[in-house]
Order: sequence, then structure tokens, then C-alpha cells
Amino acid sequence: MPLSREAIVEGLRRIVGPDAVVTDEKVLVESSVDNFRKLQNIFDVHTMPVPAAVALPADTAQVARVLTWANDNGVNVIPRTGATATEGGLESAVPDSVILDGSAMNEIVKVDPYNMQATCQCGVPLQALEDRAREHGLTTGHSPQSKPVAHMGGLVATRSIGQFSTLYGGIEDMVVGLEAVFPGGEVCRIKNVPRRAAGPDIRHIVIGNEGALCFITEVTVKLFPYFPENNVFLGWTLKDMGLGFEVLRDVMVNGYKPSVARVYDPGDAGIHFSHFAAPDDCVLLFMAEGAAGIAKATADGIQAIVDQHPECTQVPSEYIETWFNDLCWDASKIIAEDERIRQTRNVNRTTEISADWSSINEIYQAAKQRIIDEIPDITMMGGHSSHSYINGTNMYFNYFFNVVGVGPEEETEKYYLPIIGIICEETLKRGGSIVHHHGMGKARAPWVKDEYGSSYFMLETLKRSFDPNGVMNKGTIIPL
Amino acid sequence: MTALRIAVGFKVTPDYEALRPADWARAATGHSAHGEAVRYVRRVFNVFDEAALELALRLRDARAERGLETSLVAFSVAGREADPFLVTLQALGYEGARVEPDADLDFAPAATAELVAAATRRLGGEVLLLGSRCGPGDTGLVPFLAAEALGRPNLPGVTAVEPAADRLRVTFSAGDRALRATITPPCVLAVGNALVSMLRVPTLKDRLAVRDSVITTLTPEDLGVDVPAALSREPSALVGLETIDRSRAGVVVGGATPGEEARALYEEHLRARLERI
Amino acid sequence: MAGGTPRIALVLDATGAAAERHARALGGFLRDGLRLSPEHPADAVTHLFYAEESARERLLALAPTRPVRLVRAPPHRPDLMAAALAAFAAGGGADLFVFGGPLGAELAARLAARSGGGVLTGVLDAVAAAGALSCRRHVSSHHLIGRFELRARPWCVTLDADWLDVGFEPPAEHAVQTSAELHEDDFSAPRLCDDVEVLEPPATSDLEAAQFLVVAGRGAAGRAGVERIAAAADRMGAAFGVTRPVVMNAWAAPDRQIGVSGTRTAPAVCIVAGASGAPAFLWGVERAGFIVAVETDEHSAIASEADAVVLDDAVAVLEALADIVAREHP
Repeated sequence: MPLSREAIVEGLRRIVGPDAVVTDEKVLVESSVDNFRKLQNIFDVHTMPVPAAVALPADTAQVARVLTWANDNGVNVIPRTGATATEGGLESAVPDSVILDGSAMNEIVKVDPYNMQATCQCGVPLQALEDRAREHGLTTGHSPQSKPVAHMGGLVATRSIGQFSTLYGGIEDMVVGLEAVFPGGEVCRIKNVPRRAAGPDIRHIVIGNEGALCFITEVTVKLFPYFPENNVFLGWTLKDMGLGFEVLRDVMVNGYKPSVARVYDPGDAGIHFSHFAAPDDCVLLFMAEGAAGIAKATADGIQAIVDQHPECTQVPSEYIETWFNDLCWDASKIIAEDERIRQTRNVNRTTEISADWSSINEIYQAAKQRIIDEIPDITMMGGHSSHSYINGTNMYFNYFFNVVGVGPEEETEKYYLPIIGIICEETLKRGGSIVHHHGMGKARAPWVKDEYGSSYFMLETLKRSFDPNGVMNKGTIIPL
Repeated sequence: MTALRIAVGFKVTPDYEALRPADWARAATGHSAHGEAVRYVRRVFNVFDEAALELALRLRDARAERGLETSLVAFSVAGREADPFLVTLQALGYEGARVEPDADLDFAPAATAELVAAATRRLGGEVLLLGSRCGPGDTGLVPFLAAEALGRPNLPGVTAVEPAADRLRVTFSAGDRALRATITPPCVLAVGNALVSMLRVPTLKDRLAVRDSVITTLTPEDLGVDVPAALSREPSALVGLETIDRSRAGVVVGGATPGEEARALYEEHLRARLERI
Repeated sequence: MAGGTPRIALVLDATGAAAERHARALGGFLRDGLRLSPEHPADAVTHLFYAEESARERLLALAPTRPVRLVRAPPHRPDLMAAALAAFAAGGGADLFVFGGPLGAELAARLAARSGGGVLTGVLDAVAAAGALSCRRHVSSHHLIGRFELRARPWCVTLDADWLDVGFEPPAEHAVQTSAELHEDDFSAPRLCDDVEVLEPPATSDLEAAQFLVVAGRGAAGRAGVERIAAAADRMGAAFGVTRPVVMNAWAAPDRQIGVSGTRTAPAVCIVAGASGAPAFLWGVERAGFIVAVETDEHSAIASEADAVVLDDAVAVLEALADIVAREHP
């Protein structure tokens, strides 16, 4: 017998206190979605089931008590901190869910420059941790575009990646230890050690779980030295995207680790670089950073590699540096973008995938052409590669369309989901992954079995074992 | 009723918001340094010009609903940096044109206005729509001076334009007050803080359809304007630039108790300011 | 009169709204913003354009200089006003025209164009010497200040919006030098437009319009704390807003929210109590003239974005401050 909304609210109040339970209608409606329903948010249209409450636990003990109570009573819990998710991970897929919001747990517990580690609670904004690291002349190395707004708990839960990942790695390379709470109330602390081989690496059960297995309450991440004065920017224009991928591969295979390595196709380059790139130009760009010797050797190495390709025309590095300095989200930009969407009904969406070097260009070409041919009202279709590895890279499809003849609530059905479908199909066909870093959320959950193949058994077993009653973020990763 | 020809003058500017304090410090060392400092940042439509471009499209659409024909031409006093924007405008139904000034008109509103007026005469445009002001000068003078040169009335702070038979019903502002009036072309409408301020987006198919369209490129000589002479007549001259220090002092107010701190805060910082309010 | 003291005409367009603010701006600028080189008292006359006869005496009392030239003009007729001023300038009436009022920029531009003089808008301050008028004004979207010179007279300028908030008392008495009325047929100016309708201004929220604002953040530590800060704000005559976490915790109503998802404000004085200064919130108060942060964490973002910082409990400090302000400014 499911609990009534009133009983849910009462149950939460008894655990976290009445002041920490929010039942204001406007707040609850806002909390029913994330940026996946961005267009609906902007037009104030709401179609998802409204949660019963938002609860803000003060500490790990309260988190454990809330999860135990939810588990005992079959209440769906959606863990949340910074609320910057883009794939529906924070959507309440079923009525009367509880948003368990960790933003009140916002203490930076320890900054340890000698051991190059920092520990913080889940509700600490990444920007706050980064600012604190900078006071010691250090950096977290993690810089997703959402840095000004995202919190540490969510960044770990989604296996996020930042702009400098080619040097520093993704969040999975940065997490040292953590504390997480499971639906049965188990509080598990994974200690901070540089490496161990004491069985499987259980951190990876937590990192990327998207709130479907547990609630992350604390994380410890590595710190890195910070040498912004040594940054070197390099950029070229070229006509052939395939060549762009080849150059990225050369750079990675030869062992260079620039912090930024990207190639933009003409459509995407037109958005950022039309002041120096022709309409049919791709743009290849790099940033080298680190200790002086390393930054110089990296930049010199990349220069030598690209110099072997006369089809690449170098551009003044100031263009790349200026563009780069303005990359992160900030309050004014978000407001301006929302207003632009409201007025023009022109929507920007993204879908990012990964694949090996042999497949990436084919995936890009095939998906792009199919979208242009099959989807109406497209105003831009392009993308860029922004995270490379020795054995492959990602493709960040970036596309815009006018929403014509339907209301905002039908945008996903008419445009967004069909586009995601095309990209997933073309990627899976060639052995790539349908999600590079935004998380599966609920948006791509329908493809989870195709994505996992026979290893789905392992994912499913984790879910059944850790969340036997299915109370953790229903619909995320594994569809309803 | 005859077709109405609307000319929209626009400018493409550096995205000033993408620059940082260090860039502005460099820009402030002089006029040419200013040009250098903004050289590498992306270009965007001036916000008021963008609103003018969208308002003109909406006026065309509203007139079409009443069976009235309209032709649109968009032009910029600019070099090649305006081309990507003109291509987009062509895809939206504008004819595109550019006047290459061959001189730096950044802080020269009178010379700019002369070219704008001459271009309007040459390209035709009983209605000249343009943004009320534009960087870097931000004087807001070009629409008034262009209207003066064309011998036309001008309405400032325009936020909406609707057809009214063969005239136009215009909502505009004169300082603090909003007004609505009927005006007969030829006229100049300077667009202010319109609620409709963003340009619609053409589809890939729209772009394909105008792929072979040509951008008309004119020189000042084509328009009969002697730019060096106009610059020498410019009514104001830029003699220097300064940065603006926006950092806040962060002065810590002392006191052993909240009461003492409040008293110190009031006496040292708030009293005079509150008296002025 | 080249080389001598510049004669100054303050042109007040009182045919529209907010005449008092514009009159104060002109007076304040004459007193504080304009320097004559070499120094000596300004020789200034106000040209006051007004539309309604019934408003004449009230508007005359606002004139920023003792000598006044009154001109009655039909409303919404900058063409007639510009023509009248051009005639006055042609007769060598003034060297410097400072324009205030809604039609100021248009009048300045058209007068300069017709008389061959220099024109500049949004002036922050100016120095009038024999050879030139040197002015400072914002450029590059308010990122820089430019220094300009106007050489050819008459110099025609309008003022930066900051001058609208200056304190200035007009002279107790005025001497009307001339009184004129403009008619359609006086000048060969074409009719500008007709069927003019004055529109209702949109309502601004109390937060947007507030000159003195108190904002409570999460540091108020609960609904009770937020309510106490709100009461303190009320006693001080300040508007009251909150940050997003306060709304999300349901400690205050969403219409009080300040920042990206709420209201953007521009008060002269803003006290931020118990908010750490997230960027999305700071955007909502960054235009404030003077920001005070009351915070317990000296590392918080707000501490470096405020003009003055009190490192103590928000509720206690605000209540103590309210006691003082309520007493000193009843």
C-alpha cells in the first residue's frame, strides 16, 4: 500500500525536521524535472509527476534514516545536489517521489596540500572547492561547463568529465575515496589510498551510479599543481573532419597530454569561430598546460605533428585563448539563452558518444547526414570531439532546431528523442558507446541493454542487490 | 497600395561580455590598442540592431497578412566580418549589402551617419530601421544624425511597429514614458529595448535556397561620400581611454559585539548614503 | 565670443515625464560636473520647454538656474523645439548647451547638425576651456571610459544617467527673461506624427525599484531567522529579498527571490545577510551602489564582492542595525 503524500511529508519531517522539508508547490514543480525538459521549464509547462517533497538532510545519519524509511515504505528517492543534470536523471518518473537534496551538506572537510587531496561533502559547489584549492596554488583539474553551479555529489554520481580531461582525466581518475549510503541504511566509507588491489575497485559501483544505487555523502578528490602562466594555445583551420580526427589520434598515440584537444566540424565551428573560420572550415585546437618544461614540450610536439599536414592553416593563438576564457556557464549567459529560446523557439541540444579511432568519423558522418535528411526544422547540425584517449575519442553532437507546430511539451517527442535515437543507432552499429559523459539519465535508458550487451547481467545484478525494493531513482539507467 | 521598402542598418560588434579585466586594461591604453584588444573575440549582432532586424521581419509578416507587399534590405557599414551575418539574413528573406568604409569609424558617429544615410538612399528604404545605439561609442547619435541627413522625422526607443493602412503605428519611448503614434514614411525608426529582441533562425533548407545569393558590396565612392573629409568634420574626437575600477573594497567592519559592529557600520558607511535616499 | 567665458544654456525638456529628476540632473551637473577653465562663476540660463499652461508655475519652480527662458511647445514636437534652438544658436545665444529630459539626445544631435557644433551624449563630467570642451563618458558597453573633445561651438551635450539621482535644490526665486510659444507655422518643420497615445508604464516590483534592500540568505538558519531579518528590514524602511536556498527551503515566498531565477535589483544600498554569494545570486545585486555583507565565513564569495564586510551573525547584526537606523531615520 503506497504512502499518501501527507504520510510521506510527515515521515520526512520526523527524520530531518519540519524546517528541512519543502512542500511549496512552485518548488516541487520545478524539482520534477532537470535540463532534459529545458524547453518546458522555459515556457513554464510542466508534465512530469510532482514530487511529494524536497528533503534537505543535514548529515549522513539523516540520509541513512531517510533511505531506510523510503526503502521500508517503497518511496522513490531521487538524490540531487547541484541540479545541473541534462539527461532526465533528476526527473520524477513516478508520482509522489522524494527529492533528497544534499546541498545543505556543504562543508569542505579538509584540504590536504601535502597529500594532494581534498575532502568535501556532497553539497559543496565545485567552484567553491576549486577556489579553495587555488588559495594553495593548486587545482582540482575538473572543469565541466557547469562548474559555476554543479556540486561534488552530482559530479561524481554522473561520471562527469571536464574541459581539461585529456590531461587530468575524468572524475573517475580524480576520486580517491568516498562515503555513500545505501537504501538499507548502510553507510559505507571507502578509504583514501593511492591504489590498491584488494579485490575489485568498488569505487566504480558508486561513481556513475546516477542515484540508482546509493546516495553519495562525501568525496575525496586529488589535487594538482596549477601553472596557468605556462598555458599555450594552438589553433588551425582545415577542411576535412576526417583529417582532424587523424591529427588528434597522432597527438594521443605519441603520448602527448594537452589539457584541451578538440576538433570542430564546420557547423559547430560556425557558432564559435566565424570571426576567423570560413563557412566550410573545421577548427582544430589545443591547450598545453603544466610545469614549464611539460607545457613547452607538449606544445612543441603538437606543433610538429600538425606541421606535417599542410592542409592545416595555423591561426593566431589569441583567437583560441580568448574563446577559451569565456567558455563556462555563468548567470547572465543562462538568462540570455533562456530568453533567446523563449523568443525564437530555436532550441539547442547535445548528445555525446564515444568510439575508437576507426569508427568515430563514420559515426559522425552517418548520424549527421541521417539527422539532416530525416528530422524537420534543423537550423544547425554539427559537433566536435573534445575528449581524446590513446584508443579513441568522443563526439559531442551539437544541434539546433526550430520547434514548429507543436507545444514545448512535444519537443522531445517530435525532435529530441528521434535525434537521440539516430545517434544511438549509428553509434551502437559500429561498437561505440551511446553516452560519453552526461550520464544515461532517463533519456537514453531505453538503449541500456543494447549498450551493455551480455554485461547487462552485471548491471542488473548490482541494481537488484543494492536496491532490491527499487526505491532509488526509478527509471534512471534502467528504464521503468 | 504600393510595396514598402524597409532598410535595416546593423552593426556587428565584438562580444564585449566575453572579454576580461586584463583585456580591458590593454584596450584602455589607446584607440588602436582598443582595436587590438577586441580583435580576437567573436562577433555578435549589436543587440538593438538585432531587435530591429526581427521587428522588420515581423512587420513584413504582418503586412503580408493584410495583402501588402514589403521588400527588405539589410546593410552594414563594415568589412568582411559582417558576411556570415548577411548570409543568415539572406536566408531569412533580406537582400544583403555592405559598405566598406576603408577607415576606422569606431568613434565617428557623424561620418557613420553620413554613410548610413547615403546607403539608405542608394539601396532604397522609405523606412530606415536601426538600433538606437551601438558600441564602442554607444552615443546613440547615429539614428538622429542619419534622420537629419535624410531630412526625415525619427522616432527613438522604438519597441514595436505595426501596419496602419499605408502608414505605421509605432510604439516608442521618449525617456521615461512610452508612447504610440502613427507615422507616415519616409521615416527613421531607432529601436530601443523591444520585448521582441532576438532574430529568428533560418533552417538549413532556408540557407540552401539562397546559397547562390550575392552580397552587394559598395564603397563610399559609390555613395558619393568622402570619408576622410567626413572624419575631419567629426564633431567629437576621442583623446583617451580609461579602465573602470569595479572591484569593491571589502573593508572589514570592526567591533566586539553585533551592536558595536552595527554602530560602526552605520557611522562609517551607511549614514551618509541613507540620508541621500 | 571666442576665448571668453562660455555662456551656458541648460535646456530642460519638461514636456514629458520626470521633469524634476532631469532638472536636478542639470543643476547638479552645473554645480559638480562642469569645470570652467580658467575658473570663475558659470553664466548659465535655463531654457525650459513645457507643454501644459497649467503646469507652467510648478515647472518654473524646478528650473536649476535663476534666469529662465520659458518656451511653450506642443507635446511630442522635437522638430519645433530643435528649430527654435537652432535659431537661438544662430544668433550666438550660447556656447554650451546641456540638455536634460526625454528629448534631450534628439535635440542635442539635431542642433549640433544644424549649427555645425560638437555633440556628445552621456557625459559624466566636462571641462570647458577656451579651445575645447573635454568630456568623459562610458564607451564599449560600459566597460571603459572615453575622454573626448568637442571643438566647434556650440557644444551640445546630454548627461549620463547617474546624474538623475543627484541631490540638488533649485533656486528659491527665478527671473523669467523671455516667454515664448511655438506654433506649427513658426518653422517649416514637417509634422512628425499624429494620433499620439501615452501608454501606461509597466508595474515594477518593489524589489526592482528599491533603493535600500536587505537580502537574507541561508545563514539566517531557519524560517524564524528569515522572519527576524525581514522585520529588521521593515523597521529600517528597506525592501526585503531572499536568496534561492531560502526559497527552496520554504523559509520565504518565491516572489522575494533575488538573482537569476528571481529579480534583478539596483539599490543604492544593499545589505546581504547570511548569504555566501553564489554567482546566480550576485548577478541580482551586482548593480547596487554599495554592498554590505554580513557573513560568518570570511572565505565566502560575498566577502570579496562587497564594499564592507561584517564577520558576525546575520540576525544579531541586522537587528542591532535596525535599532540604530529606525532611531536616526524615523
